This record gives sequence, C-alpha cells and structure tokens, in this order.
Amino acid sequence: MSIVADRNTRVVIQGGPAGVNAARRMSEFCYLSKAPLTVQAFVFPPDAGKTIEVPYGGEIVSIPVYKTVAEAVVNYSEINTSLVYVGPDRAFAAAKEALNSESIRLVSMITEGVPERDTKLLSRIAQEKGKIFNGPSAIGIISAGECRLGVIGGAFDNLILSKLYRPGSFGVITKSGGLSNEIIWIASQFADGVTTAIGIGGDAYPGSDYVTYLEMFEKDPKTHAVVIVGEMGGDLEERAADWYAAKKRRIKLMAVISGFCQEVLPKGMKFGHAGAKEGMKGEGSARHKADRLREAGAIVPSTFGGLGPAIKEFYQELLLKGLVKESPAVEPEALPKLPKTIDELRKNGEVLVEPLIKTTLTDDRGEEPLYYGYPASELINQGYQIPHVIGLLWNKKLITQQEAEIIKRIIMLSADHGPAVSGALTTIIAACAGISMAQAIAAGMIMIGPRFGGAVTDAGKWFKYAVENKLSVDDFLNYMKANVGPVPGIGHRVKSVKNPDKRVKELVGYVKSLKIHTPHLDFALEVEKITTAKKDTLILNVDGTIAAVLVDMGFPVESLNGFFILARTIGLIGHWIDQKQQGSRLIRLFDYLINYAAPKKKEVPPLK
Amino acid sequence: MAKVLEGPGMGLLKKGGMSVPNYVVVTSTEWFEQSASAHAWLKESRLVVKAHEAVGSRMKLGLVKVDLDLAAAKRAVKEMIGKTLGGMTISQVIVSEMIPHKEEYYISVQSTREGAELLLASVGGIEIESNWDKVKKLSVPIGEIPSKNELTDLAKRAGFDKDLVPAVVEFAAKLYQCFDQEDAQYMEINPLVLRSTDRELVALDAVTLLDADARFRHPDWDFSFAAEFGRPYSESERAVMEVDSKIKGSVKFIEIPGGDTALLPAGGGASVFYTDAVVALGGKPANYAEYSGDPPDWAVEVLTEKVCFLPNIKRIIVGGAIANFTNVKKTFAGIMAGFRKAKAAGRMNGVEIWVRRGGPYEKEGLAAMKTLESEGFLIHVFDRYTPLTDIVDMSLKKESAASPRDQARSAKAGSGKAGEARR
Repeated sequence: MSIVADRNTRVVIQGGPAGVNAARRMSEFCYLSKAPLTVQAFVFPPDAGKTIEVPYGGEIVSIPVYKTVAEAVVNYSEINTSLVYVGPDRAFAAAKEALNSESIRLVSMITEGVPERDTKLLSRIAQEKGKIFNGPSAIGIISAGECRLGVIGGAFDNLILSKLYRPGSFGVITKSGGLSNEIIWIASQFADGVTTAIGIGGDAYPGSDYVTYLEMFEKDPKTHAVVIVGEMGGDLEERAADWYAAKKRRIKLMAVISGFCQEVLPKGMKFGHAGAKEGMKGEGSARHKADRLREAGAIVPSTFGGLGPAIKEFYQELLLKGLVKESPAVEPEALPKLPKTIDELRKNGEVLVEPLIKTTLTDDRGEEPLYYGYPASELINQGYQIPHVIGLLWNKKLITQQEAEIIKRIIMLSADHGPAVSGALTTIIAACAGISMAQAIAAGMIMIGPRFGGAVTDAGKWFKYAVENKLSVDDFLNYMKANVGPVPGIGHRVKSVKNPDKRVKELVGYVKSLKIHTPHLDFALEVEKITTAKKDTLILNVDGTIAAVLVDMGFPVESLNGFFILARTIGLIGHWIDQKQQGSRLIRLFDYLINYAAPKKKEVPPLK
Repeated sequence: MAKVLEGPGMGLLKKGGMSVPNYVVVTSTEWFEQSASAHAWLKESRLVVKAHEAVGSRMKLGLVKVDLDLAAAKRAVKEMIGKTLGGMTISQVIVSEMIPHKEEYYISVQSTREGAELLLASVGGIEIESNWDKVKKLSVPIGEIPSKNELTDLAKRAGFDKDLVPAVVEFAAKLYQCFDQEDAQYMEINPLVLRSTDRELVALDAVTLLDADARFRHPDWDFSFAAEFGRPYSESERAVMEVDSKIKGSVKFIEIPGGDTALLPAGGGASVFYTDAVVALGGKPANYAEYSGDPPDWAVEVLTEKVCFLPNIKRIIVGGAIANFTNVKKTFAGIMAGFRKAKAAGRMNGVEIWVRRGGPYEKEGLAAMKTLESEGFLIHVFDRYTPLTDIVDMSLKKESAASPRDQARSAKAGSGKAGEARR
C-alpha cells in the first residue's frame, strides 16, 4: 500500500531535457517493479509532434510530445498526474494548465527558484479544485514497488540497495531531496523500508506540507510510522506537531530537525533551503520545533545519527506486537536487471566488439587530437606549419622545411585560376542561384576530374611507372599511346611553348634551384620536349608538374589530386564570397549562346 | 528573501504612489556637492545623513546624523564615506530631508502562507516594540486585494482619528498593491508620519525584503540585494555567488570567522545537519557551504578552493547524503582538483579530510577520492554504510555513535565496498 502515487498513476511530464532524464529514471523503476511505464506523454511546445525515446529494460519506447496538457490528456485519458520541469519563469503557467485539466489530480513541481507569489496562487487553485500541488523544488514522490515520480530514489543500484522494489512500513516526508534518499536508505537498513517517500521541497510555503501527507499516511494501513525531516524556519513542523497532538493517531511520528547550529552561529547568518529562516522570538528555531514535536508525542532523536537506532527500535516493537511480519530478503539475482550498455560490458571485459572502422592516422580520444601521434598544439608551438600537417595526414611523415616550402608554393599557385574554369564557374552559378557555401563549393568540386584539375594523380601514377621501370621517353609515349591514351599532365587548352604557363615555370625553376634529386620531374620535362615538338600545346601542364614534384617528394599517388582540391577550395570559397557580396542574381544562358539543334515542333499523336 | 537598502526601497514606495522624503544616495563628497547645487530642498530643509549599507544598529555606531543644515550634512558625508568598521568600508551615504511632524504611525505588510498580512498601528517609531498590542492585523488571501471597507475597519481598529482614516486607507491600499506587484515578502514603514505642513502621510523609513526568485519579471530592479547578516559579502563569497548565478545546480559559501572545521557538504538539507553535528560536539565551523543539483565539476572546484583557503582550518568535512542525480564521480573530480590546487599552494598541511557520500557513480567517486591518500593527503573515505554525520564525530575525536554503524556494517558484511568502513 502507499499514498499519492500507486500502480494506477499515469504521468505527463511538462518540460524538456530534465523531464526526459526523469522519465528515464522512472522507467528504470517501472522495469524493476515489473509495472508498465508510467510516463505516457510529454508537453514541450518546441518539440511538439515529435516523440522521445525512453528505454524500458532492453526495449525502446517512443513517448509522444504535445504542445498542451489538454492535447496530452485527450490522447491518454489515463493520465492523472503532471510533473513540472519547466524553468521558473514558465512554471506557474505550466502548473496552472495542469491543475485546470479535469483528469489531473496531482501536480508535482521540480522547478527551483519559483517566486513565492506564484506558489501561493497555485496552492490556492489546487485547494479550490480539491487537487494536490506538491513543490516547488520537490525532488519527487516514490511508493516502493508501485510508482516513482521524478528522480527520487536515485540510481538503479540504490533502488535495489534501499529495497524500493517492495513496500516496507515507514512513510517519509522531507524538504531536502538528498535526505529523502538518505532516510529511505536508513529505513531499509534499520527496518523493512518505506511505503511512500515524498519530497515537498525546501521553499518557505510549499504547495503541500507535512500535514497534507500525514493525513493520508494515517489512512494507509501499511504505513506504521512516518519520518519527517524538518529544518529551522517557518512553521511547517509546528503544524505537524499540532496535527499529531490533536487526537490519538494510528501512525507513529518520528522527526529529525536541522538548524541547531543557529544557536551558536553569528546572528542573522542564515542558510540551507529557501524556507530556512527563523521567525521572531525563537519561533521557527530548530529547538522550538523539536520541543513541540516531542511534546506532541513524536520520537525526535537529538541528532541525525540517532534516527537509525530509533527506527530500528520502533520496528522491533512492530515485529513483537505482530503488526508487521519480517519480509524475507529478496536475492538481488531474482530482481530484474537493467541491460548493460556496450560501454559497461567492454569495461568489464565481458564483450568483444569487432570495430566498424580502423584508422592508422589520428587519435582524438585524449585532451587534443594527435596527428599521426603528434599533439596538434605542440606542432604549433614548435613552429610547424600547414604543409607539415598535410605531410603528416596525407603521407604520415614529418616533412622538412624545404619540402614544406615546395608544398606551400604548390598550394599558392593552384589556389585559383579565374572565374572561367569549370570549377569556379560552377561555384559562381551555384552562388547566383542562392546556394549555401558548402553546397556551392561542393558543386565546383564535382567538376574536378580527368579534364579539369583531376589529372594530378594519373600523371603521377604514369610518371612513377615510367621511372620505376626505367622506360625511355619514347618507350613511355609508345606504351601510353597503346594502352592508356593521351598522357595525363601533358597538354593545355590555351597555353603553349610560345605562351608558356608561368606557374609551371615558377615551380620548376624553384625546385630545380634547390639542387635536389628530382627523377620524376626530370623525366616529365624530357617527355615535354618530345611532345611539344609534335604539337605546340602539348606542354607539361600544371597538373603534371605538381604530380612529378610530389612523387619526387615521396607523396603517395593516392594523395596527389588532394593538393589541387585543397588549393582550389581556397579559390572556390573566394568566388562564392565574392558573388554573395555583390548580391549576384540568378543567371541563365542567353539563347544565342546555345545552338538549338533539337527537332522542330511536332504534332503530338493521340495516346494509344 | 533579499534585502533592499533604504534608497531603492524608498524608490519602490515612490513608484507605488506613496510620499517619501526627498533623498539622494551618494558615493563621494564631490557627488554630494553636485547634488546640493541641483536640488533646492538640500539647501532649504533640515537634513538626515545615514550610512547606506547593510549594517545593523547604525544609530549606535554613529552612522546616523540628524537635524543638520547643508554645511553640517557635507561634513557628515565626508566623515562617513570611506570609514571602516569591523572590516567593512562605508561606500554609500543617503541624505534625506527631515519631515516636520508630530504624530508617528506604523504600517507593514508581511508574507504569510495564505497570502499576506497588513499590520497597522496609530503609534510608531521606537515606541512600537513596547506597544505591539496596539498593532492591528488584516489578512489578505493570495490573489485578492483588501477592500475599502476592510481597510477602513482596520484603520478604525488601529485607533486612527476619524478625519485621518480616509488618508490611512488610501496609503494602506497603495502599500498593499506595491507589496503585491513588486513580489515583496516584507515591507515595513516605521515611522509613517503626518507631515505638519500639508497633513500628508509620508514614509520616513523603509525596510524592504523582495523575493529574489522573482527578479526575472522585474527588469526595473536596477539595484543589487544587500547581505542579510549585518556585514557585506567577502571576496570569496562573492566569487562563489558569481559562479552560482551561472550554473545549473548550485554552490553556496558563507564564511564564519574564527572556526577551524571547514565544511564542504552536498545538499541544502544535509549541509545543515553537518553544521549541526559540528556545533553539537563543540566544534567550530569555519564556514557554511553546499553544492547540489549536479553542478558542473569546475563550479565545485572553485567552491573547494575557497573552502581550502579558509584561514587556520584543521579539517574539511566532505559530507553528503545519497544523491538522487548528482554525479558523485564528477563532482568529486571537481573537489579533488580543488584539493590539489590548494595543496600546490601549500594550504593543506596538517589538514585532515573526511569524506562520506552516496549516489550515482558512488563507487567510482569514492575510489577516486581514496587515491588522494597516495598523493600525500590526510584523507579518510567512507561510503553509505557509515551514517551521514559520523565522519564529524570521528574527525572531532569524540565518541562516535558507533553502534548503528556496526550494526549496519554487520548487516551488509561481505558485500565488498570502497571506504574505510569496509576495512
């Protein structure tokens, strides 16, 4: 048996991420208690129409999100409880909406920092409608083995340790969330545990107080004693004492009170919960409360440590009188277990997972990424630059300063080649069509291929083949003619011997000036001599030059197109920005730029 | 509850349509001289000069000077600003006009569970304490305003002259409305006086407590709240408040000078039980502290540093109940980082650390905390099987309430837990 929350409780949660977390915790409890999931709907306007996934054991349950409480209860007519998890500025409206819903009987507010005026108004509404408003700042309500509202009870292990899977004989009412768990734990260690535990929140004027729930516990035959955790300030404990003294009560009242330290601390120093403030003339002091409760007949140990033994003593009496029977311990093995996550299983070495991908390049699991083992920040601090990072990530080598300079030059001279070339033109057309940067750049990128910028890899591949196999230029050209076709890296649409490509001249000149071993570049230049003799435009083009130089530096063939792609990205981004800043409008080709060679208009025959 | 100083308190009354004396709040003599040339009333009226700080018994400390002319007021301002008293410096002074009057009354509104109570008396000033039986009450339920009839009845019961009743009713209605609209928790005007010159009711002093939680709907609250314990906040306290205002969850810190037992407990409820336990055994707390609501580890780290840097501490109590959702491992990581920083700064010599905690990831958190032993910390780590405040008993070397722990321990023997209770 229990009060307030039981197996028939069905919940709508008002709020976002904190509410979702609560739903997960509540689901763990339902699974442990072999009860159906209590949370049936969320109300969270930003996500209305979506669903939120909550694990129930090994199953994933989808819970719908609605814009209003009214919509939620129309779809789930069993809902009788709302948990409010929205921020303090919207908490009042949310709780009012729930209280105004016919089918909702209990609203528990977890939100902290709610203005007192709002709480009082909500209490009044609840009172007028005969409903319960619990909180604010209330951790939740848990009925052992039946229902959990909110995160009260803590982690799954704690639910089991505190025997929350089956009812005991003690009720608990606390202001503090952490202490509710502590008392549940004590009751399970020194006695048979709790029936229902309720967090009423630490505000000065909570929506429901000790008396609200003492009345209910008094009528719950399974509850034999109620433990309240009080604190200095306000008069809630005095009201509980008055209630207890008013007539003979079936339940035993037990209490611990905090705030005795106020007697010796500097005057006016107040702390703890919002409601912990002392009134005039000692009223509201911890001592006043403890005395009043004792006078009313409650058991009030002088310290928190005395509570466990007091509970134990009372429980022994209950056993002796035959009012309760010792409930046999449930072996943890007999209880449902939460399925473990892959992470937990792996940590325990209980499962072997075949990796989905393998990397031999970088590792991001530490404080910062390691580029082939080297921490990025240290590379920066040691003066390494972008070309070195390229060397590490594309060739797994820490290149020399000289090599870095060559790469820098390659990138600089390949960065752009005007708006007319396929890549830039496509990006410009995309920019004019209002396409965003990433997509417009990607469109330009798609143009990179055998006829535009994409010949670097192939050029490198065949130059390398020739040098490796020590082919003569003639043998190479014959081989290419017979097996491949035009030599990649040779030939240009407009450049020629007479109109040389200055970029090629610059790069070749620089590399040659370094007096380094460049067999592939030398070979490529020999090839050019023969091909240009045949046709003026069959020069070593920029792709071929870059390819030869990079292969000379030991870069793998697979990486070569990357240099052009990387470099040209700089230009494509520039073109996109340029068009954007000009506010360019959609463009289309003029008719006179198109040779309309399509058939003339024809009669459409009837459909057969 | 958040206390508002007299100046902004008067401002709220004025906004609510009640008469208050002319006043200026100044932070320097120069500022006051400028004000004097701008406001005719400063030259024409007799003046009162008061320290505008959250400090009690200002009269006794010589921080209130009355019946001054402008020249004397200037001297008083000069004398008060920058004056230091028990560690605090007076930085603001309020200068207001004296209101000629014969009669003094009392009126206040205070928050109650059901709404508010309006208190009214036809006596006031310092006489109110000895005449509390003459104070008459009117309870107003939340969501309602007092009717004219109710207020008239209250004024009559309080013994106001028939011809004064309408003015008192009007003033009381305005005060109640001001209280309600400003999310106040307490507003007291003592004395309320009848200005001799025009027979208008004027509020001579204002004690105002507002609901700090309602700040979000009062963009015009352009003042900061005053410390409520008779001294301004310390630098460390301000630093922790600053962190507290930025995070999910909370961290709280108040210094108690002269103590030797530092407290670093979790939870608004448990933290007070820990403080009680220290006091109950004759110990001297060096502070109050609390972290809760699963705060980020960096916030707990800041709090920990402030705790460790308290002067002359002998022990630190890292207590806590069994958390619902505060991640013990994560918050302990923040505490450990704070401890390490303090140790590096030479602050942990001879300081004993006592730990007790439960909650999500308790095993991992406690095990991590225990590793501090190997780093040279004097640390004792206990788990949920040691009752909440037993670490305080042990740390203060008094007889601990050992029996319940032994019982609990034997009940659970062999389940294999971290912490000294298991060894």
